[in-house]
Amino acid sequence: MLAPKFNNRPVISFQRVWKTYPNGTDALRNISFTVPEGDLVFLVGASGAGKSSLVRLLIREEKPTRGRLFVHGQDLGSLRRRHLPHFRRQVGLVFQDFKLLPRMTVHENVAFGLQALGESKRVIALQVGLALETVGLAGMAQNYPNELSGGEQQRVAIARALVHEPPLFIADEPTGNLDPATAWEIMEVFLRINAAGVTVVMATHNREIVDATQRRVLAIERGQIVRDDHYGTYHEDHSAAGFRLR
Amino acid sequence: MKIIRQLAFAFASAWQNFWRNLAVSVAAVMSIALILVLAGTSLLLGHALGQVLDSYRHRVSVLTISVADKTPLASVYDFGGQLQARPEVVSVRFITKDEEMRSFASDPRNQQLIEQIEGNPLPAKIEVTVTRLDDIKRIDALARQWRGSDRTDPTDYKGDFISNMVRLSTWLTIGGLGMLAVLTVASVVIVTNTIRTAVYHRRQEIELMKLVGATEWFVRGPFVVEGVMTGVIAASLALGVLLAAYRPFVQRFQAELFFLPLSYDPHFVHVLAQDLLGAGAALGAVGSYVGVRRFVRL
Repeated sequence: MLAPKFNNRPVISFQRVWKTYPNGTDALRNISFTVPEGDLVFLVGASGAGKSSLVRLLIREEKPTRGRLFVHGQDLGSLRRRHLPHFRRQVGLVFQDFKLLPRMTVHENVAFGLQALGESKRVIALQVGLALETVGLAGMAQNYPNELSGGEQQRVAIARALVHEPPLFIADEPTGNLDPATAWEIMEVFLRINAAGVTVVMATHNREIVDATQRRVLAIERGQIVRDDHYGTYHEDHSAAGFRLR
Repeated sequence: MKIIRQLAFAFASAWQNFWRNLAVSVAAVMSIALILVLAGTSLLLGHALGQVLDSYRHRVSVLTISVADKTPLASVYDFGGQLQARPEVVSVRFITKDEEMRSFASDPRNQQLIEQIEGNPLPAKIEVTVTRLDDIKRIDALARQWRGSDRTDPTDYKGDFISNMVRLSTWLTIGGLGMLAVLTVASVVIVTNTIRTAVYHRRQEIELMKLVGATEWFVRGPFVVEGVMTGVIAASLALGVLLAAYRPFVQRFQAELFFLPLSYDPHFVHVLAQDLLGAGAALGAVGSYVGVRRFVRL
């Protein structure tokens, strides 16, 4: 299911992006950065720094107030509503609270997205099986979410995002509700997905994971990117190889 | 194939949701059924009244002109010819004194009177049938100007009755349309609120559908199907109630108000079934579309 495919084209490109809410708050201020294909990027920063606003822009729940934002070469500021479903199918989304449907089994939760596309039962069964195998839940297809641990529920959510084979994963605090050991298990799933060539952007507060993984870190403070370290840590580390924006 | 699978998903999802929120669904079905019973009743009453009015309209669209006894036959035919040439006149029939007498005598209620009278006091008549009620007045004026008409009672024209009937018919049509409009709005509001409740119960599912790339119509489809389903079930119930009541109502009416020309009309039952089922489906579709539209916008 996951085959590496790199060519370092920018999957995400923020160009002087501002996000100002109707009450006048600048959630994001003049943000510029790019994420090449196959990268794994941690978005770090205190609560209210602007991480969630950035994620909402990335999945086009909101539009930038100023500046331009490209994902897969599409300008999200001018993306028409009728093209939005197609765009969202190219992005795998994972949330802190899993967002599983409690009345559906694991299989049904993962199959849900494919049903929305009108895929045949045969294709759905095949794709769901592969996705569950990738996250290590092949034997739990008929269980309901309330029968699973937090880590297993997050694996189901990852399988649901994975089932479309999207080239980009966006995860908003995916380990926020999990204990350290389980958080690591989930991170390992993301690392496997990334190793297969899928670009991953993860907003997180998990210092241990960021520090141990040593991948690109974008630190946000008061709506601005204050640090972009290519092999970064959660907190500023003057010995890290990278560059400073401020 | 994808469209068929998506339609199948919409139907399955609508059916599942209808049963899952059974209390809300039943409440909506009953409310809409009640409204459709009211609408159907007004249609049935309108149709019955229409039957009665049509019958009277037919009767009053015939004007009878009494011919004075000394009028020469040539003058009668000449006047009859003039009337027949008018575009608003459908037919002209001359009834001789003898024919009029035979008709009078054939009524058993007139037997006693026949025995008491000598000769034939009844005038000959010209019976004129017109296309529209409004034309009667013009023919009446012509008949009164004609020298051959009986001076004491030239025609049987009943001006007030005709104009009152036309006015009544107009007001009943306006009233019926107004009532249907009110009932339509009420139905749409009920379906809209029912679907909003269903949307609220399934808001997480809808949110997820949008995030995994479902189109607006894919999300909206099951709700619209559910609305149509609710409307059609309600319409079937309402139709059942109305059909069960229609024949006994007509029979009772015929027994008690025998002079009114009202009868059971099987053709109208088909029309009523089509109207109610169509209206139920349309109300369900419009109500659910309005109810779900705002929540499903991507």
